[in-house]
Amino acid sequence: MSVFDGLKFRRVSSPIHLLDPRIKFFYVCSVFVSAIIFWELLPLIILFLVQIPFVLSARVQKEWVRSLRGAAFLAAFIFSTNIVFRFISAGQPTLQDVEYASAMTLRFVVLVESFSIFFLTTSPDHLGLALEKSHIPYEFCFAFTTAVRFVPVLADEAQTIMDAQKARGLELEKGNFIKRIRNYIPILIPLIISAIRRSLELAEAMESRAWGAIEKRTNLYILKMGRNDYLLIMISILILIISVYTRFHVTVPVFSSFFL
Amino acid sequence: MNQKKSNFETKVLAEIVVFAALSAVLYVVRPYSNPYGGSITLGSMVPVMWLSLRRGVRFGLVAGVIFGLLALPIDVILLPYSPIMNPVQAILEYPIAFGVLGLAGIFHRKTTAPAIVGVGISVLVKLFLHVIAGIIFWISTIPEGWIPIVYALVYNGSFLLPEFIISAVLMYILLKKGTLEYGL
Repeated sequence: MSVFDGLKFRRVSSPIHLLDPRIKFFYVCSVFVSAIIFWELLPLIILFLVQIPFVLSARVQKEWVRSLRGAAFLAAFIFSTNIVFRFISAGQPTLQDVEYASAMTLRFVVLVESFSIFFLTTSPDHLGLALEKSHIPYEFCFAFTTAVRFVPVLADEAQTIMDAQKARGLELEKGNFIKRIRNYIPILIPLIISAIRRSLELAEAMESRAWGAIEKRTNLYILKMGRNDYLLIMISILILIISVYTRFHVTVPVFSSFFL
Repeated sequence: MNQKKSNFETKVLAEIVVFAALSAVLYVVRPYSNPYGGSITLGSMVPVMWLSLRRGVRFGLVAGVIFGLLALPIDVILLPYSPIMNPVQAILEYPIAFGVLGLAGIFHRKTTAPAIVGVGISVLVKLFLHVIAGIIFWISTIPEGWIPIVYALVYNGSFLLPEFIISAVLMYILLKKGTLEYGL
């Protein structure tokens, strides 16, 4: 579950942390779109490399590497399923298939990379502020941003409960379909109970900060666009334009064709 | 001070947050997954449905929508192909189709039989939305020789039926154990 570590915010002062979250989100979207429209290896490698300066200037390399390491297992899974799919449909996988599979894997890595840049460098307050500015009801923004933050916490907890129950002799991989579902109950009930307790804690924390007491909320920080924000917009638009142009007007070279 | 009645009670809002996140955590664990989205998970729908039974449909729907918004990036990251064809399809198949899971509490009675019927109804509505999306947006991925609506039913039924069985069994046991009343 350490792939979620890349979603935990880390407070460092860096130019990337100070950027407007809306712009960072736009940047993530543009990387996202560019990654999805390519299935060749070369552009995905470029996309991967383009993002490294952001990680370095945000000074979150350590967390970033950890999230990539967590993603490695899933990446291996994606790679092998791609190869197996090819194997079933077309027999012996060729060099091209291997390249396609690695491109799909790299696409996944690029997506994890850009998401973790966004979440590592955006504080929950700023994210909420950005959503609030887009005229979404405040309660909903709050619920969404807090839920995002709770996913890694609950994943940790689920892992702990699972380990604890296994240590007490729970066998998950035994019996038929219905039996297996029933085996799962000793994990689900503690999970739900602890979730309720956590929600009570959260409610207490909210109440103690006078949640919902005042109709018109004011904020300590106000989002303002700076020079760096405009720079990032330019970069994102550039990434988008270049990738869409390449998609439609340039034949992207495939490595494996050099060997044939 | 201008006192305002919030749309949500604080406790309920906190539960919505935590249970939507719990659903998203369970959504990551998937023994089987269709290539274009749709997976058999370890009861990822249960927390949202459970919340809907506990607090009512309105809050269940909100939790479902948040679960859908969290499920979209998870699917994008974990699936071998992109689950997004276009923005309309993404909104229909994620926030809306996951949101309707909140319909499980439609009878809002704390006995098992109506609750299981509610679970069934919410899964049926979800199936309906996915089939609609399938015949409108996924037409290009349907293999030749299939009638689109049949293929959409088979594709989406292949994971929603086991999901329904898993959710129904888990929900039945959870209700029998009386977890619904805990901490109210």
